[in-house]
Amino acid sequence: MKQIIELSVNGESSEFAVEPQETLLEALRDRMGLTGTKEGCGTGECGSCTVLIGGKPILSCLTLAVECHKRDIVTIEGIGDGNDLSPVQQAFVDCGAIQCGFCTSGMVLSSEVLLKENPNPQEKDIYKALEGNLCRCTGYNKIIEAVHKASEQMVTEQE
Amino acid sequence: MRLPKFEHVQPSSREEASRLLQEHGSRARLVSGGTDLYPRMKYGLTRPDVLISLKGLPATPPTVDPNGDLHVDALMTLADLARSQTVLEKTPLLSEAALSVASNQIRHMGTLGGNLCQENRCPYYNQTHTFQFVEPCFKRNGDQCYLIPKGKKCWAVFSSDTAPALISLGASATILAPKERRQLPLENLYTGDPLKPLTISDGEVLTEIIIPCPLSLRGTAFMKFTLRGGMEYAALSVAVVLDMENDGVLCRAARITVGSVGAGPIRAGKGENAMAGQRLSKNLFQEVAQLVVSETHPFPHHGYSAAYLRACLEVETRRAFSLAAEQITRNPGDPG
Amino acid sequence: MENKLDYVGQRIPRKDGPVKVTGRAKYTVDVQLPGMLVGRILRSPHPHAKILNIDVSRAERLKGVKAIITSDDTIGVKHAFVDTPRYPADEPPIAKDRVLFVGEAVAAVAATDADVAEEALSLIKVDYEPLPAVFDVEEAMQPGAPEVHTSHPKVKEPLSNIAGKTESGWGDIKTGFAQADYVREDRFESHLRTHGYLEPQATVASYEPGGKLNVLTSSQGPFFKRAKLAQTLGLPFSRVRVHKAYVGGGFGGKIDLFYHEFCAALLSMKTGRPVKIEASREEIFTAYRHGEPLIIEIKTGVKNDGTLVAQQFRVINKSGAYRGTGVVVIFLAWGFIIGAYRVPNFKYEGYAVYTNNPPRTAQRGHGCPQMRFAVESQLDMIAEKLGIDPLEIRLKNARQAGEILPNGDNVYNCGLTECIEKAAEHTEFKKKYGQARSASPSMGSIRRGIGIGVSAYITGSLIYPNSSSTVIKMNDDGTVTLLTGALDIGQGAETILCQIVAEELKLPMEDIEVIAADTETTPVDIGSWISGNAFVTGNAVRVAGTEVREKLLSIAAEELEASLEDLVLKDKCVYVAGSPSHKLTYQQLVSLSIQKRDGDPIIGEGHWRTVRGEPYHPSLATTKGRWSDSYAFGAQVAEVEVDIETGQARLIRAVTAHDCGFPINPTLVEGQMDGQVSMALGHAFMEEVLMKEGRTLNPSWLDYRMPTIHNTAKSEVIDVITERYEIGRPYRTKEVGEGYVSGILAAIANAVYDAVGVRLYTTPFTPEKILQGLGKLK
Repeated sequence: MKQIIELSVNGESSEFAVEPQETLLEALRDRMGLTGTKEGCGTGECGSCTVLIGGKPILSCLTLAVECHKRDIVTIEGIGDGNDLSPVQQAFVDCGAIQCGFCTSGMVLSSEVLLKENPNPQEKDIYKALEGNLCRCTGYNKIIEAVHKASEQMVTEQE
Repeated sequence: MRLPKFEHVQPSSREEASRLLQEHGSRARLVSGGTDLYPRMKYGLTRPDVLISLKGLPATPPTVDPNGDLHVDALMTLADLARSQTVLEKTPLLSEAALSVASNQIRHMGTLGGNLCQENRCPYYNQTHTFQFVEPCFKRNGDQCYLIPKGKKCWAVFSSDTAPALISLGASATILAPKERRQLPLENLYTGDPLKPLTISDGEVLTEIIIPCPLSLRGTAFMKFTLRGGMEYAALSVAVVLDMENDGVLCRAARITVGSVGAGPIRAGKGENAMAGQRLSKNLFQEVAQLVVSETHPFPHHGYSAAYLRACLEVETRRAFSLAAEQITRNPGDPG
Repeated sequence: MENKLDYVGQRIPRKDGPVKVTGRAKYTVDVQLPGMLVGRILRSPHPHAKILNIDVSRAERLKGVKAIITSDDTIGVKHAFVDTPRYPADEPPIAKDRVLFVGEAVAAVAATDADVAEEALSLIKVDYEPLPAVFDVEEAMQPGAPEVHTSHPKVKEPLSNIAGKTESGWGDIKTGFAQADYVREDRFESHLRTHGYLEPQATVASYEPGGKLNVLTSSQGPFFKRAKLAQTLGLPFSRVRVHKAYVGGGFGGKIDLFYHEFCAALLSMKTGRPVKIEASREEIFTAYRHGEPLIIEIKTGVKNDGTLVAQQFRVINKSGAYRGTGVVVIFLAWGFIIGAYRVPNFKYEGYAVYTNNPPRTAQRGHGCPQMRFAVESQLDMIAEKLGIDPLEIRLKNARQAGEILPNGDNVYNCGLTECIEKAAEHTEFKKKYGQARSASPSMGSIRRGIGIGVSAYITGSLIYPNSSSTVIKMNDDGTVTLLTGALDIGQGAETILCQIVAEELKLPMEDIEVIAADTETTPVDIGSWISGNAFVTGNAVRVAGTEVREKLLSIAAEELEASLEDLVLKDKCVYVAGSPSHKLTYQQLVSLSIQKRDGDPIIGEGHWRTVRGEPYHPSLATTKGRWSDSYAFGAQVAEVEVDIETGQARLIRAVTAHDCGFPINPTLVEGQMDGQVSMALGHAFMEEVLMKEGRTLNPSWLDYRMPTIHNTAKSEVIDVITERYEIGRPYRTKEVGEGYVSGILAAIANAVYDAVGVRLYTTPFTPEKILQGLGKLK
C-alpha cells in the first residue's frame, strides 16, 4: 500500500506516494532525478549510494523511503554552493582523487561528514570514515591526500 | 537490486512491536537498521509479508544503574555505541567490537540488537537462487550442504562482532514478550543451530543489553581477524575478559568467547577454567590458547580452511590474552 | 619555434572533475528515455546442457510484457572478440540448442517494469538435458574429456578442447640449454579475479523510426561495440550509433559484446521502444567475464654470471566456454616476455583451453601480471642459487635503447636499466635485501621484506579499428572543439588530449570543448583498452592541432606581413615576436580565414596508427609480424610486512620507476600507478573469485575482497624521462595504465620470499599458503 511521504532533500521538500519496498536510492534517482547517488551493488557493500540523513552518512540502497518522511537528506547535489565547489570537492578535483567518478559522490559525502566532526583527522580516522567506500581506480592514495588537503583548507578558512 | 513487496508497519513502542509480531506470526519480521535483513530480502532468501520497523523509535542513551551495571538500548546504532563515552569508560571492549563492525555507514544504520540477531552466513546461501544454484540447501529447507557435500549438517557461520564481546562481558539480554519481560544470559540467545540461530520466538523483541561491571581489576581484549580490514565479516574473532584478584597477579576468572567460526558464538569453557586461579604468564597464555582451539572446532568458511582457522585462532587468542593482560586496570569507581 | 611547454607535462586537474564531484556526470544507468522498457535476461542454470524446448507462452501472456526473444529471433550470426579465418567467431548472441556455461543467456524479456520482467523470466519454461561438463583446464585437455567445442583443427596433438595455440621461438633451444651452467624448471599458476569496476554494466538501446539503432552502453570504446552489434543484428554499420555516457571504470571487463547489449538492442528493435538493461552486481560476478588465469611452466638456462641463454615456456590459459580473448592472451603472454630481457634461444607454446566455466576476458595487463610474476620469481630463485643479487641479474639481461626484438620491433628509447637503478637506489634495495632472513627471532612476529620486479609493455596494438583519428575545429569566438572517438573511462583520456590541443594552439584548457566517443559524429578511435590512447590518439590530436596552428599562422603571416618564423602563439593570439602589439586574435583569424580562404573556418584533421606502415596485427598463432612501435618499461620495488604467526602479509610501500616516455599529465600518471599498485596488492593478497563446478561462490563485494582504504600502500612514482614533447613533432610516449600492475605483483612475491623465505608459486598469497610455507599448518 502506498504511503504519502514528504522528502526534504538538499533543503527542498516534496511529497511522493511510495510503496513500502521503495528504497531511498530509488526515490532519489527515479522520482527526483538525483542520479548523482549511485548504485554499485545494492546490498550495502560499496558505499556508492551514500547520502546524509540528519548529517550522518547512510546507505540509501538499504534505507526505505517511507522511513525518511520529514528527515533531512543531503545528496551530492546538495554539496557545494551553486557553481562553487565545497573545499572537499575542490580538493578531490585538485588532488586527482577522481578517476572514473562512480565512487566519487559517496567518497565526497563520507569525507564531508568526517571533516565536519573531526576537522583535523589522522590517517586512521580517514580510514575508519571511508572504509565503507570502495574505489577501484585510485588505490585511495589521492583520496587520502584530498581529505588532508580539504582539512587544511577548512582549518585555514576558519582562522 | 530491488526489495520484494511487503507491508510496512511502524509501531510507536517496543510493546506494540511485540504485540504486532505475535499477531502476524511467521509472516512478520522485526527490522531496525535493515543492513542484515534487506540484502537477504533482495537476494530472495527471506520474504516476510510484514515488516515491523523499529526505526522511528528513539534509543535511550546508555545508563549505569545503582549496581554499576551498564544498560544499553538494543536500538542504539553501532556508531552511537562506539562513540558513547559511558560505554567507553565502563566496557571499552564493547566500544571496540562495535567499531569493528562493517563500515562507517553501516554502523550508522545498524543497531546493537540487529547485530546480535543477525542471520548466519555461507557463500552458497548468501546469494540469489535464480539460475546459479537451484537445489535448496539445509538453510533453504533442503536436505544437502552444497559446500561440504558429505556434511550432514549446515555449515553457515554466525558472524556478529558484538556478540562474543558481550558474552565475554557476561551480558544479559532483556526480551520483551507481549505478556512478559524476561532476562536471559546473552549466550542463551544462541541455539548453535545454523538453521535457526536464535532462541527468541515470534512476538519477542530484544530490547536491552545489561552488562555487569564488577568492581575489580579487569583486562579485556577483542581480536577480529580479516583479510582486508574494513567492510568485512571476521574470519574469526575472539573476545577475552580477565578478572584479576586484587593483587593484580592471579586471574580470578576468565571469559573467552570465539566468534565467526561456528553456528553461534562459542564460549571456551575449558580455556576459562584453565586460566582461573593462575598466575598470568606467556606460557599460560599459550597453553590456554591451545585449549581454546581444541574445544572450538572452527568451521571452514568463506575460503578459510579449518586448519588455517585453528592455527590463526591460537595466535589471536594468545595475543588477546597478552593485550588483556597489558590493559588490566581498575574499574572506574572502584575504590581499590 | 621555442619549445616551452605550458600544458603538456603539467599537473592540470582533470576536465571532468567538477561534473563528477557534483554528481552531474551522467552514466548509462542514469539515462531515462520516454516510454523506456526494462529488460532482463534468462540464464542457463547448467554448465552444459542441450536445450530441448523453450516455452515462452505463459510469460508472453503476462500483463506488461512487451517482447520476449530467444535465439530464434536472432539472425544466427555468431560473434567473438577474435573473428579471423583461423579463429572464426564461436559465440551465439543468445544460446541456441546447447548451453555451455552457467549464466549463458537463453532468452530475454522487455517489460514495463523490472518486477514484471523478472516475473516473466520465471514463467519461461526451458527443458534441458544436462550433459557432462568439465571445469579443470588440465582435465579438459585430456583426450576423452567432455567436449565443450571440438579441438582446433590445426592443433595436431591429441588434446581435447583446444581453442587455439600460439607457438614461437628463435635461436636453438637445445643448444641454448646445453650452453647453460644452471637450468631450472618451475610451474606457476594464477587465479581468477574480477575487474572490479564500480559501475555495473548497463545499456540503453533505442531503435528509432527510420531504422536507426541508438545505443548508450557502459564500454571501453564505442567503435568495437558498433561493429559487433551491427554484425549480430544484421544492420549496416551506419544504422548503429553507439555513443558516450560517462563510464565507471573498465579495466578490460567492458570490451566484449555482452548479452545485455545485444538483447537490449534486439528488444528495442522488436518493440520500437527504448530498452534499458542493467546488470546487477551479482550477475556481474556470476555470469559476466572475469580475467584469465594462466598456468605457466618455465625452463630457464643461465650462465654462472647470470646471463640468460635459453628459456622455454608452456602456458595454458584457463579459458571458459567460448574462445573470447583466450587466443589473445596466449599471444600476449609471449609478448610480455620478449620486451624486458634478452634471451638468445627461446621456445614458447601457449594453449587456450575450453572449459564449462563462464567465458573470460582481458583484464588490466592482460597476461602481463601473471607472466611477470612467474618470470621474475624464477629469476630471483636463479639469482639466489648463483649467489648474485636480484638487481645484478636484471641489469645484466635488461634490454637497452635501440635494441631490435625478435619480432622486428625496435624498443627505441628504452629506459629499463635506469628504472632498475633508480628504483633500487630510492629504496636502498641493496642495503635492505636479505636482512629479514638473517634477523633474530626476538624481533616479534613481523618480518619485513623487499623485492623487485620489472615489466615491458606495448603502447597500442593493431586491433580493430586500428586507427585513431581526430578533428579540431575552431569556433567563431576563437575557442576550439575537439572531436575524438576516444572514450574516457576514468583514466583521463579527454584531459590529456585537451592538454595536447592546448599546447599545440597555446589555448587555455577551458577554451577547448570535447565531443567524444560517438560513432556518428566523431572519427574512429582505437578505444580505451589497448594502452594506446596517449600515444596513438594523442599523436592524432597533435597532427590535427598542427594543421590548425599552421592555418592560423599562415593567415596571420599574410595579414601581419611577417614571416612564419617570427610569429608566436600566445593567449589566443598570434603575435610578431618582439612586437606584442602587432597581433591578431584567434577570433579575428577565424573570420579572416573564412573571408580569404574560400570559407575555411579552420579545421584540422589528424590520424595515427599504432605501427605505421604495418598492415596487419601479427599472427596470434605464430607471433610473426611487427607488433608495437613504442614499449614502456618499468621497475617496481615492493616492501612487505609478513606476520609469521598468522601468515598475513601486507604491502607497505611500492616504488614505481617508470619509463613512460614523458608524462603528459604527471597527476594522471600517478593515479594510474597508484591504482595499479592497489589492484596488484588485491591480486597478491586478498581477491579471488571462488568457483565450484562453474558456479560462483562469492558474488559480492563483501565476500570478494577488493582492497579497501585500510589496505592502501604508500605509492611512490619516479619518472624516467626518455622522450621529449616538441610542438609540431611526432612523439613516442608510452603506456602507463597496464604494465605497472605486473612488475609490482612480481615484486610483492619476491618481497614475501625476502621476508620469510617462503617461495609462492600460486597467487593469491594467502595467510594460509604463507603459514603452510613456514611449516606451521597442521
